[in-house]
Amino acid sequence: MTTLEENSDPVNDPTTDYNIFDPEFVRDPYPTMTEIRESGCPIAHSNRWGGSWFPTRYEDVVAIAQEHEIFTSRDIIVVPRAAAQAEGPYAGVAAPPITSDPPDHHWHRRLILPIFAPQSVAKYEQGTRDLCNKLIDGFIAKGEADAGTDYAQQIPVRVIATMLGVPTEMADEFTGWVRGVLEVGLTDPKVRLESRLKILNFFRQQLDDRRANPREDDLITDLLNSGDKYPVTDQYVLGVCNLMLVAGIDTTWSAIGSSLWHMAQHPEHRKQLRDNPELWPTAIEELLRAYSPVTMARIVDRDTEFQGCPMKAGDRILMSFPAANRDPRQFDRPDDVILDREHNRHVAFGSGIHRCAGSNLARLELRVALQVWMERIPEFSLVDPATVIWAGGQVHGPRVCRVRF
Amino acid sequence: MCSIAAPEIFGSDELGHATVLIEGDVPVELQAKARRAQANCPEDAIIIEE
Ligand code: HEM
Repeated sequence: MTTLEENSDPVNDPTTDYNIFDPEFVRDPYPTMTEIRESGCPIAHSNRWGGSWFPTRYEDVVAIAQEHEIFTSRDIIVVPRAAAQAEGPYAGVAAPPITSDPPDHHWHRRLILPIFAPQSVAKYEQGTRDLCNKLIDGFIAKGEADAGTDYAQQIPVRVIATMLGVPTEMADEFTGWVRGVLEVGLTDPKVRLESRLKILNFFRQQLDDRRANPREDDLITDLLNSGDKYPVTDQYVLGVCNLMLVAGIDTTWSAIGSSLWHMAQHPEHRKQLRDNPELWPTAIEELLRAYSPVTMARIVDRDTEFQGCPMKAGDRILMSFPAANRDPRQFDRPDDVILDREHNRHVAFGSGIHRCAGSNLARLELRVALQVWMERIPEFSLVDPATVIWAGGQVHGPRVCRVRF
Repeated sequence: MCSIAAPEIFGSDELGHATVLIEGDVPVELQAKARRAQANCPEDAIIIEE
């Protein structure tokens, strides 16, 4: 039950039969989330896509994220993996720290945290600004652009490539591989495996190349050299590189895209930010809350009852941070974007031990991408709301979003 | 996050973990910012003692 055709029949009752790849849900998931959250059964279950639970209340999502011994990160993809993947040549390569459980999770995470501290990511600000300006130079004269493909999609991939020390000219290939794993691949196991192999083969060569021709000052080199402190293996380094690409690109690209999609439709918000630039930090958090791009998964370790739901060992739970972030029990007027929202303990970056390690970088990219756009293109609108194309499943955001200015 | 909401009070160490930059009581003019940081702390980790 893991292909699009097998799962395409219409949904009657989302509390027992939701379909996260239903085109309507992909486009606008929030009404369904509200329906489930306000039903008698706020933790829905569906047999589609190999079966999963879908908690929709903030409190429940956070509680599951905190209980990492019962709700493990053995598999964090929202649909079961293709059996073929486990047999592939890189079967043992995971994506630490996101797929690690304690005790290894601790050092897996500790090793990469320093590169994402606020003071470390600050050095990418100017480069990101220059990149955004250059992208806009490329289309501003045309009076029209695809804010998804021509802009949002182009930014995070180049920032990550720079950090890793791999060629930024390969941006389109990296993007294709990541989409192959996180978007197309979720409903097409063959594409998923192929894309994964491309990523891991590429990094395998990068590792070998650094051994043959030592370099300085890039993340892959730093990871390879940290063996004195931790039991670092090639498998671990490959896993981290894999994660950087997969976690750092689609996510931030979606956040930038959704924010521009929102701004294109809200002249009053564009004006509010122009008149009150001190609102930027809260505005960024609010956009992250309202359009949280990322849904993760957990695997239940042992039979357990959670909020009256009989969960069995091996069951999959969708960690819907987007649904949690629209819970009216936690946020006033959750479906409104309020750029100066005072209380905003959102979970777009997750919660607990796996909370996003790259959040400072993501915030920086999102802020710079939006600020540069709004400086250069203060007034813009959607060409046609009906032609916006969304991606969903693991990561939600607009892929094609034409705007006019 | 707290170092964005209240940079005068919070900083971050080389792992990006939050640190408190001031000693003793939070000055009156920063108390609103401290509360804002508390309300937005994603891990509910800030406790304000009155
Ligand atoms: C707006 C953009 C982003 C969003 C919304 C986001 C969201 C998330 C979420 C929800 C998690 C928690 C996963 C879980 O609970 O299983 C996570 C983990 C993670 N993210 Fe992000 N992320 C973003 C950007 C980035 C970037 C740019 C990077 C770095 C290149 C990154 C690296 C990571 C890593 C390494 C983890 C795993 C942390 C751990 O398991 O200890 N993320 N992210």
